[in-house]
Amino acid sequence: MDSNTRILADRLANIVGPRHVKTGASELLVYENDGLPGYHKRPRLFVAPGNREEAIAVVQALAAANAPWVARGAGTGLSGGSLADGVVMIGMQRMRRILAIDPEARSATVEPGVVNVSLTKAATPFGLHYAPDPSSQAACTIGGNVAENAGGPHCLKYGVTLNHVLAATVVLPDGELLELRTPDADAVGFDLLGAFVGSEGCFGLAVDITVRLTPNPERICTMLADFTTVDGAADAVSTIIAAGIVPAALELVDAGTIAAVEASIYAAGYPTDAAACLLVEVDGPAAGLDDDVAEITRHCTAAGARSVKTATDAAARAKLWQGRKKAFGAMGRVAPTLAVQDAVVPRTRLAPVLREVARIAEKHGIRVCNVFHAGDGNLHPNIPYNGHDSAEAARVHAACDEIMAACIAEGGSITGEHGVGLDKLPYMEDLFTPDSLDAMCRLRDAWDPARRANPGKVVPVHRCREWMATPAARS
Amino acid sequence: MTAPKPLAGADLCVHCGFCTQACPTYLTLDDENDSPRGRIVLMKAIADGSLAVADPAAALHLDQCLGCRACETACPSGVPYGHLLEETRAKMVERRPLSLPTRVLLYVFATPTLAAAFFSAGRALRALGLAALLSRLPGRIGIMMATLAVSHRARARDYRPRAGTPSREDVAVLQGCVMEGLLAPVNRATERTLAYNGYRIVSSPGQKCCGALHAHAGARDAARALARENIAAFEASGAAYVAVNSAGCGAAMKEYDHLLADDEEWSARARTFASRVRDVSELLAAAGPIQAAGQPRKLAVDHPCHLQHAQRLTDPPAKLLAALRLTDAHDLPDASSCCGAAGLYSLENPGLSQRILAPKMASIAASGADCVATGNPGCMMHIGAGLLRAGSRVSVRHPVELLDEAYSREANV
Ligand SMILES: Cc1cc2nc3c(=O)[nH]c(=O)nc-3n(C[C@H](O)[C@H](O)[C@H](O)COP(=O)(O)OP(=O)(O)OC[C@H]3O[C@@H](n4cnc5c(N)ncnc54)[C@H](O)[C@@H]3O)c2cc1C
Ligand code: SF4
Ligand code: SF4
Repeated sequence: MDSNTRILADRLANIVGPRHVKTGASELLVYENDGLPGYHKRPRLFVAPGNREEAIAVVQALAAANAPWVARGAGTGLSGGSLADGVVMIGMQRMRRILAIDPEARSATVEPGVVNVSLTKAATPFGLHYAPDPSSQAACTIGGNVAENAGGPHCLKYGVTLNHVLAATVVLPDGELLELRTPDADAVGFDLLGAFVGSEGCFGLAVDITVRLTPNPERICTMLADFTTVDGAADAVSTIIAAGIVPAALELVDAGTIAAVEASIYAAGYPTDAAACLLVEVDGPAAGLDDDVAEITRHCTAAGARSVKTATDAAARAKLWQGRKKAFGAMGRVAPTLAVQDAVVPRTRLAPVLREVARIAEKHGIRVCNVFHAGDGNLHPNIPYNGHDSAEAARVHAACDEIMAACIAEGGSITGEHGVGLDKLPYMEDLFTPDSLDAMCRLRDAWDPARRANPGKVVPVHRCREWMATPAARS
Repeated sequence: MTAPKPLAGADLCVHCGFCTQACPTYLTLDDENDSPRGRIVLMKAIADGSLAVADPAAALHLDQCLGCRACETACPSGVPYGHLLEETRAKMVERRPLSLPTRVLLYVFATPTLAAAFFSAGRALRALGLAALLSRLPGRIGIMMATLAVSHRARARDYRPRAGTPSREDVAVLQGCVMEGLLAPVNRATERTLAYNGYRIVSSPGQKCCGALHAHAGARDAARALARENIAAFEASGAAYVAVNSAGCGAAMKEYDHLLADDEEWSARARTFASRVRDVSELLAAAGPIQAAGQPRKLAVDHPCHLQHAQRLTDPPAKLLAALRLTDAHDLPDASSCCGAAGLYSLENPGLSQRILAPKMASIAASGADCVATGNPGCMMHIGAGLLRAGSRVSVRHPVELLDEAYSREANV
């Protein structure tokens, strides 16, 4: 360790206590990757503040030392967003207190390290829940969700994280404290909170976050429709939405995914001989729900569903959902490495895009398991492969590139919810013009002129015209 | 030098993080090095040689693992965490000998004459009231003495159950070292409830300590030697099933096939043996079990890790307790997480073990129950010791004891 790092580590240890600063190679090892296997970046050092004051002091100390840093929530990100390549990593996992729940105002204020599902658990006694439910909700943090503007199955009806964040306190990378809140209807000025949500840790460190809590629906029905063709399932998605029904969630799992899930501890009872299944949930006032169920069943059957099962009791619904939510994890049993892809296509183009993905997979001799938020066209083609086999890895990378190109060609985008981070950086230039990228650089500079927060992510650096002039770039 | 051997099963981990929130040490220490996902990274690095076997930081974090295996029932990918840990610890032991007290204890448990002397000394301390007295001491000694002192709360009952006509299979009961040494009434209750439910109890001389503690500590050769002796003893008994009332022992014995997989002479026998091991609740559930009269009593139920996470048993223990027909029995809200006993952990890591116990104490107090049921001697004594030291009157009982008492009340009316 160089002497500057030693000095910095000592200074940080004075703030958070020595046990919460890690500098040794073996202890940094576990902070070398997030939820996306394949990348390994060693942080310069790791520091975990225990409360808001410590977090602010840490950022200020880093600003004083002009040391770039990356925040890390639970490290479940799937774009390499929280990797710290030779820079300081600020771990937020100690800051996991729920500061206040206000059942009347239907809001909660939390420290950013609070795990998504813990908030819903704490809100349950009030008949409320936190609506954005990424599949990783059992592990990921609200801070990470805000940074990635995370989505989830139920965001189809309830909206993504952005629609549920009411306020946040942010330490800017220069150490200044900023209170952001949602502008009310007649507010003047820019929606800075809106800019912060989804900024992938590049605009500052959130130290507390206030979110909206949503009343639990009176009644919920979850349906499982099974299809013998992927096309049939994709068509059903389009017709359901076109009919004007807004399900709470509308998810697709294909045969590869079903096989992995059914072999796991989260086996949900998905038919293993189906080509694809749709998981459709409707919720709301009890009256009228049965009509929705009947109509959705009709659309599924018309699109070729073999059967449509309905679960209403909580245990049966939870089981159906566990399978979906633990699907990524379950794919570990297929092969040791997993490439998790994330792209969005217009919902009406789902069937042709899925066909194209299958064609690309076949061409490269790889296996694709699809599991995704079909209702908003957010694809997740997952590719389990053997990372130790370099030839196979090369084929997977080639296939990923082609899949992304195919999605863009259909009018889609390169990420629906996992963010750009490190992994999607190369695609940014395919999607945006130099002017657009430059505008993003300038927005980032407004928050973090020294470019200390999450360096090297989201926007390709060479696209930033002013980049070479900043002190961080020179050092 | 031999090429590094990859850690079988570690590749299943996709780093999704689902296990982290199930891990008591992560939730207590807030460091990913103390989470399952982090420890898997460390273990993989040790296996592939990129991290030294004796790396002190890695050793600390692996020593701090409870081996509770809550990460396994949270993992969608099926990572065999318990096996990875045992394998890694076995490798570490070669470089870094176990602590002297641990070595002595493991040796004593594995040697029946020494174990008998050790436990009778313990019973003497307990009978003289010294254990209770010394339990007020701070630190390790106080904890040990409290653990000993509470073991007597399980009192022997002398009654003859209505003889069940043996209509079911022959069963041999594992006596176990701690169970027979300090909690013998639980073994008697096990035999009586099984007999009452139609099983025929056969003796199995020559059985020993199951070796779970040895395997967990990395002393694999000792564990294997004990496994072989037990296999031979139970085979000779002719029993169809081996009944186990200690969740930790049952989990270990069900995995003898894994432990002896590389032993050409014994692997097949180990597989057959492992398939015959049953937790006592499984046998009772299969038999019904006969329902008791029911009584008003507020019972809090805790699930031993090695029952729910290692053996993956939830229905049979629930059926056993349902047979009590209590009006007010509930799972503790944190019944799925470890109490901190974890074999020798409470003695090796007393500070951390007590921190992990603290939330359990709080939820027991909040439950308002007068009795906690849990089916593992380590948990019974660890939770009991915590309650004793906190001045609580709540008792801790093995579920079969409660069933046995309920049957006995009926027999006496
Ligand atoms: C199995 C699995 C399923 C998933 N399913 C979904 C899904 O359905 N929908 C979805 O949207 N995502 C999903 N994800 C991706 C991931 O869980 C989300 O992106 C999540 O929001 C990341 O949260 P985290 O706490 O793990 O953050 P991390 O991965 O640790 O960090 C993510 C980003 O947030 C930044 N960050 C973290 N904390 C702060 C803070 N306090 N202030 C500022 N920046 C911060 C980091 O710098 C980084 O850029 C899934 C991941 C897995 C492994
Ligand atoms: S849940 Fe399983 S696959 Fe996921 S990080 Fe934990 S051990 Fe690895
Ligand atoms: S065995 Fe228990 S303590 Fe150890 S990593 Fe798994 S959950 Fe954590």
